[in-house]
Amino acid sequence: MTDELSFEQAQKELEGIVERLERGEVGLDEAIALWERGEELYRLCSGQLDAAHGRIEELAKRAGQVPPGS
Amino acid sequence: MPFLAAGSTLHVMSVQPTLYGDRKVYPVGAFNRGVAEWLSRIPPVWVEGELTELRRNDRWGSVFFTLKDPEDGSTVPASMPRRAFDALGLELADGERVHVQGRPELYAAKGEFGLRALTLERFGLGEHLAALERLKKTLAAEGLFAAERKRALPRFPRRVGLVTGHDAAAKGDVLTTITTRFPPARILVAETLVQGPRAALSIVAALEAVTAEPDVDVVILTRGGGSFEDLLPFSDERVVRAVAACRVPVVSAVGHEQDTPLCDLAADVRASTPTAAGRLVVPDLGELLEGLRRARAALALGARRAFERQRERLARSHTGLERGARRLLERDAQRLSVTRDRLRRGPALLLERRRGALDAAAGRLRALSPRATLERGYAIARAHGDVLRSVADVATGDRVEVELAAGAFGARVEEVTR
Repeated sequence: MTDELSFEQAQKELEGIVERLERGEVGLDEAIALWERGEELYRLCSGQLDAAHGRIEELAKRAGQVPPGS
Repeated sequence: MPFLAAGSTLHVMSVQPTLYGDRKVYPVGAFNRGVAEWLSRIPPVWVEGELTELRRNDRWGSVFFTLKDPEDGSTVPASMPRRAFDALGLELADGERVHVQGRPELYAAKGEFGLRALTLERFGLGEHLAALERLKKTLAAEGLFAAERKRALPRFPRRVGLVTGHDAAAKGDVLTTITTRFPPARILVAETLVQGPRAALSIVAALEAVTAEPDVDVVILTRGGGSFEDLLPFSDERVVRAVAACRVPVVSAVGHEQDTPLCDLAADVRASTPTAAGRLVVPDLGELLEGLRRARAALALGARRAFERQRERLARSHTGLERGARRLLERDAQRLSVTRDRLRRGPALLLERRRGALDAAAGRLRALSPRATLERGYAIARAHGDVLRSVADVATGDRVEVELAAGAFGARVEEVTR
C-alpha cells in the first residue's frame, strides 16, 4: 500500500500526522503508531527524492517526430 | 500572364459528345466549357488569404494577384475588375492578409482555374483584434476560461512536459529554473513552431504528443515576447481548445506580462514569464528537504510529548491512588484508636459509675442510720438493755447507758421528772 503512495500523498499524510501529534489529543498507543507511520513516510519521501534522477529529454528527437508541415 | 481574360464570358452550350461505340468522348473545349459552366453556378463566397504577386496595369481591365493560404501554402490565382479594385483605394502590399469575396471561375480557353473577385477587404490588425475579441467571447461563453475549470498543479510533478520553440530563450529559462530549483526533476521537451501560419497546428501536435507520454502530469507552454502577429498562434482557436482539453494541468507563459493570448486564459495557471512558470511547476528542493526534516523532528517531538503526557497522567493517577489509599487507612486508624480509647476507658468508667452508685447508696443508708441522728447531737439511752423511750421506764438511781455519736458512757438517774 505504501509503495503506491505518491510523494505528494506521503508528504500530505506526514504533515497530517505531525499536526495530530502536535495537537496532542492522541493516546500513547496511537502516538507510537503515528510516529512509526510518520517515520515510514519520511523515509519514503526522502527515498523518493534520493532516487529521483533529473533528466531532460527531447521528445521530437527521441520519437523521431516532426511537427506536421515542417 | 493573365489567368482570366478581362470580361471573359462563358458561353453556355450543350455539347454533344462523339460516340465511339458506347464511349462518349468530349473535345477539350467542350469539356472546359462544361466544367466552367458548372463552376459558374457556385454562389460567391469569402476567401481569406495572403495577397501576393499583385499585378496592376492601367491598360488592363483587371488586376491580377495570387491568394496564398498561410497555413498550408496552397495558392489560387485571382483577378478583379481594375475599376472596382482602384475604387477601394487600398494601398496593399505583398503578404497582407485579405478577405476576398468572389466566385470560382475556369478560363475555358486554357482550362485554368481561378477566383474572380467581386470585392476585397484588408484583414489587418484591427480586424484581427475584433476577430480575437469575438473568439474570446465565444470561448468564454462556452466556459473555457471559467475559474472552476482550473486545476491545481501537482506539488511534486513526476515528469514536466515543456512545449516550446526550438532553442528559444524561453526554453532555456524554464530548464534552468527547474533544474536549479529541483535537480531531480524529469523534463520532457516537445519542440514546436512558435510563430507563423503553421505554428498553431504544430503547438496542438506538440501538446498532444507530450501529454501522451507516460508520467507527464503537468505541461508548460511557453514562448518569449514577440509582435502581436508572432503571438497570434497562441490565440488560435485550435490551440486554445487543445490547452483547455489537455488531460493534465497547463501552465501558460506566452509573451510578456501585458500580452494576454487566449491560451493564457484557457490554461490552468498563467505565468508572467518562463522563469515564473518553472518556479510554479516544481518545488524548491532545499525547502522541501527542510520541510521534511522539520516534519520528522516534529514527529519525534510529538511522539515524545505524547509519551510524557501519558507518563505524567500515570504519575498523577499513581499519586492520587496513594493519597486516596492513605486517607482511607488514616481514617480507619483514627476510628480504631477512638474505639480503643473508649474501650480502655470503659472499665474505669464502669467502676466510677459503680462507686458513685455505691456512695449514693451508702449516703442514703447513712441517712437512715440512727448514728446520723446521733451525730446531730442526739443520744440513745438504754437501761436494763432496753432503749429508753419514756421516763416511766427508769427510777432514780438506775444505771443508764448513754450512747453518743462518738463513744458511750454510763450514768445514774438522779431524779425523774414527770
